[in-house]
Amino acid sequence: MHIVVPVKLVPDLVEELVIDPSGTTLDPDTLRLQLNEFDGHAIEQAILLKERGGGQVTVMAPDVEGVDDVLYTAAAKGADRLIKLCGNFGQSVNNHAMACAVANLIKPLQPDLVLTGVQSHSDLDGSMGPLLAAYLGFPYVGYIAGVTLSDGRAVVRKEYPGGLVAEMEVVLPAVLGIQAADQPPRYVAFTRIRQAMKTASIEEQTVEGLDVSGGPTVSRMYKPEAAARATMIEGKPDEVASRLVELFRELGVL
Amino acid sequence: MPERIDFWGIPHTWGPPEVYAYGIMGLASLVLLFRLYQAVSLWWRLGRSEKRWDQLHIRVWRLIKYAIVQVRVLSQRYPGVMHIALAWAFFVFLWGTILATIHSHFITFLRGNTYLIYKLVLDLFTLVFLVGAVMAAYRRYIQRPRRLTLAPRFTYSLVLIVVIVVGGLAVTSTRLAVERPEWAWWTPFAWLVGQLWLSTGASDQALLNWHLGLWAFHLLSAATLFVTLPMSTMLHVVTGPLNVFFSKLDRPMGQLAPQPQTSAGEPLFVTSLRDLTWKQLLDSEACTECGRCQDACPAFAAGTPLSPKELMVDIRTALRRDGRTLLKNGNGSDKVPALVGEVVKDAILWSCTTCGACVRECPVFIEHVDTMVDMRRQLVNEGRMDSMLQEALANLGRYGNSFGQSERVRARWAQTLETPIKDARKESVEYLWFVGDYASYSTTLTDITRKTAEVFQKLGLDFGILYDGERNAGNDVRRVGEEGLYDMLVHRNAAVLSRCSFKAIITTDPHSYNTLKNEYPREVLDGRPVLHYTELLDQMLASGALKFTHRLGYTVTYSDPCYLGRYNGVYDAPRRLILATGCQLIEMPRCGDRAACCGAGGGRIWMEEQAVQERPSEARIREAVKLDNVQTLVVTCPKDVTMYRDAVKTTGYENRMAVKELIELIHAALC
Repeated sequence: MHIVVPVKLVPDLVEELVIDPSGTTLDPDTLRLQLNEFDGHAIEQAILLKERGGGQVTVMAPDVEGVDDVLYTAAAKGADRLIKLCGNFGQSVNNHAMACAVANLIKPLQPDLVLTGVQSHSDLDGSMGPLLAAYLGFPYVGYIAGVTLSDGRAVVRKEYPGGLVAEMEVVLPAVLGIQAADQPPRYVAFTRIRQAMKTASIEEQTVEGLDVSGGPTVSRMYKPEAAARATMIEGKPDEVASRLVELFRELGVL
Repeated sequence: MPERIDFWGIPHTWGPPEVYAYGIMGLASLVLLFRLYQAVSLWWRLGRSEKRWDQLHIRVWRLIKYAIVQVRVLSQRYPGVMHIALAWAFFVFLWGTILATIHSHFITFLRGNTYLIYKLVLDLFTLVFLVGAVMAAYRRYIQRPRRLTLAPRFTYSLVLIVVIVVGGLAVTSTRLAVERPEWAWWTPFAWLVGQLWLSTGASDQALLNWHLGLWAFHLLSAATLFVTLPMSTMLHVVTGPLNVFFSKLDRPMGQLAPQPQTSAGEPLFVTSLRDLTWKQLLDSEACTECGRCQDACPAFAAGTPLSPKELMVDIRTALRRDGRTLLKNGNGSDKVPALVGEVVKDAILWSCTTCGACVRECPVFIEHVDTMVDMRRQLVNEGRMDSMLQEALANLGRYGNSFGQSERVRARWAQTLETPIKDARKESVEYLWFVGDYASYSTTLTDITRKTAEVFQKLGLDFGILYDGERNAGNDVRRVGEEGLYDMLVHRNAAVLSRCSFKAIITTDPHSYNTLKNEYPREVLDGRPVLHYTELLDQMLASGALKFTHRLGYTVTYSDPCYLGRYNGVYDAPRRLILATGCQLIEMPRCGDRAACCGAGGGRIWMEEQAVQERPSEARIREAVKLDNVQTLVVTCPKDVTMYRDAVKTTGYENRMAVKELIELIHAALC
C-alpha cells in the first residue's frame, strides 16, 4: 500500500493580512504560511492507515517558507518519503495548473491511494482533490471523515450537510478529499521532529510545465469594507412583504 | 554498689547464655542483612546511575537534622510527637544495648551512679515509647485519618514493637521483683510494674521462672523484628534515612533535571522502571505512607486521581513485583506492565500542578514532582495528552505563546500607555522586564500590566521590554514534559536577551521568574540577577526610593504563588509591600511554604478541566472568606488573578471578596 499525500501551505490567519500594493494579492513579506488544516488531517489519516495495515507514506509539498518543518513533522509522525516540489510558485499559480503538474509527479510513484485535504482557504478555482483525480484518471470522493482499507478497496465515510453520513466503497487507486481523519492529528514532540531532521531526508523534485493560463485572475483584493447599505423595513408583516417584493423588482432580482 | 550484671538470672543449663543469645541475634542479623541486600540491590542494579555521593558534610547534616532529630516529622504536632516518641525511644534502646555490649566485653563502666542514670533513662524512654504507641493506636484505630494507609502490615509493625518493648519492661520488672534492690526507684516505671508482680504473691522462684520465660520471649521477638524488617513497613527505618542522605543537593527546587540521555546521546524517555534512576526507585521504597503529601496535594483535595503517596506506592509495588523480571531480561522485551500508562495512569500524571507541596511536606525528602515530569515527558513524546494541551503546545511552538496569537501583538497592551516603554532590544536599559504570556495577552490582565508599567514609570525605573521578541519563558512547558519545545523557547529568548544590554531582569510572573532564575543557561544572565517585581519594589522600599502617598486601609490576606514562595523562598517582600501600602494583613491557615496552589501550575491552566469535587482555586477562596473582615485576596501572579477571579464568581463570593494583584494596591497607594 503506497499512500501519497500532496499538501500545501496556506496563509496563517492568526497574523494580520496585508494586501500587496498591487491590490491583487497578499503582501508576501508579511505573510506567514502554515500547513492547510485539512491537509494535516490527510497526513494523519495516511499515517493511521499505515499503522493499521502497513505500507508506505509519501508526503509532498511545494517549496515555500516553512515547508521543511511541515515535511519533517510528517516524517516524525511516520511518513517514509518526503518530497519538496521546487519551481516558481508565484501567487498566480492556480490549482488547475498545480494539479496537472503534481499529477505528473505522482503518476510514476504508482500510488494506491492519494489523500489530500478536502479544501483550503486559498483555493480559488476548486480544490486540489478532484483536479488531481481527473489528471490521474482515478475516482474521487471528497468530504471524507474516516477511511478503512480492505482488498484493494477503500471504505470511506462521507459526511453530508445536515448530519447525514454515507459509507461507500471506492476501488483503488483513488483520490480522497479528507475532511477529518479518524482521529484528530496527533501532537509531535519537538524532540521527535529534531530526530526526524537528523534521520529523514527531503528529496527535491522540480515541477515543470506549469501552465497558469486558463485559471481565474484576481482583479481586486480588499478587506471587508464597512458601509451603511442596510435598509430597515418596518411595519406589519404583510406590508413588509409587499415592500420586499417591490424592492426585489426595483433591483431586478424578480 | 549497683552494677549491670550480664544475663542476670539466666541459668547456664544449656550452656552460657551469651552463646545462644548472640547466636540467635547473629543469625537474625544475617538474615536481615541478606534481605536488605536483596531489597537494596534491586533498586541499585535496576535504576540508572545518578550522582548523589558528593558534599558529604551536608548529607550527614541532613541525616542528623531530618532522620534523627526529625525536624520535618515534628512539624505536625500530633503525628510528630507520636513518631518522635517511638523513634527516639528506639534510638535510646539501641544505645542501651550498645552500651551494655561495651560494658560486657570492653569497658566495665555501668556501675554506681552511671548505671543508675543508665537505668533511669531507659526506664523513662519505655514510658515515652508507650505514650507514642498509645497515640499511634488511637490515630490508627480511632481517628483513622484519611491520609493513612490502614492496612494490616502497619498493625503488624506496631504490635511487634509494642511486644518488644513491653517484653523488655516485663523482664526488667520481674528481675526487680526478685532482687528488690535499694536503687529500684531509679527505674520508677519498671519498679511500679514490679510491685504488680509482687502483689500476685508469687514466690521468688516462680518470678525467676517467669523472668526466664519473658527473657526468651523478648529475645525471640527482637529477632523476629530483625528477620521481618525488610519485608515489613519497618523497612522505612533504613530507607527513610538513606533517602534523606541521598536527597537532592545539586540543584535548587525550581530546577528540573534535564531530560536524561542514552549512551548514544539520544533523549531517553521513561517507559519502564529501569529508566528511573536508583534514587527515584529509592524514593518509592522510602515512602512511609504517612500521607502528609496527600494532605497537602491540591490535586488530591480536588478529587483527581492523583495522590503523591499512592504514586510512590504504585512504583514500589511495581518495583517489588516486576523488578527481578526486568533485571533478568536485561534490555529484552518486557512482559511486565508498562510503568507509564499501566503502573501509573496518564490521568494521574496530568493531574499534577507541580506546586511542590508534597515535596515540601515529605519527611524523607521524596522528589515526587521530578519523577512525575520525567514520566510526563514520555506521554508528550507519544502525543498522549488532551486536545487543549495539544493546542496550547502547538501554539507555543508556532507563536511562542499559549494564546495562539501573533507575537506581533504581544506588546499591544503597551500602546495605550501615556509614556511609551523602551524597546530593550534597541536601547540599553537597567531593568529588562520579562512580561510573560498571561500579562501580555490575557485581555483581563492587560489593565494590571499597564498599571505595573505605570508604577515602574512613576518610580523612574530605567526599564524596557522585548516587545515581539519575547517568547513564553517555558517554565510550564518544561513541567508539562515538552523538553524539546522548552529548549527551543530558551534558545529563542536567549538569542534575544544576548543582544540586549541590561543590568537585571524583572518579572511579573513567578513561573517565568523561576525558570529564568533557576534553569536558563548561565551565560544568558552572566551573573545578572533575576528579580520578581516584588523583590525590586521591596528593595526600593527599604532604600526609601519607594514611598507611598496614600494609606489604603484595607484588611487583606495574601496567597503565596507556588513558584514565588515555596520554590524560591520569596515570602517577606510581598508582605512588607502590602503593609507599606497601609493594609492590614491577616494570614490564611495555609500560608508561606504551606500556601495552597490555585491549580493552574505545571501546565494545568492549558489542559481540559478534570471532573473535580472542588477546584483548588475555589477551596482557596473558601479558605480566605473564613477570615474575619478580609475583603481582598492579594496575589502576585497573573495566573492567580485569572484563577481566583473565576473562583470568586463560581463560589458566589464575588461581592464578598475582591482579588487584587499586589501591583494594583501599590498603584493605588502611589498614584
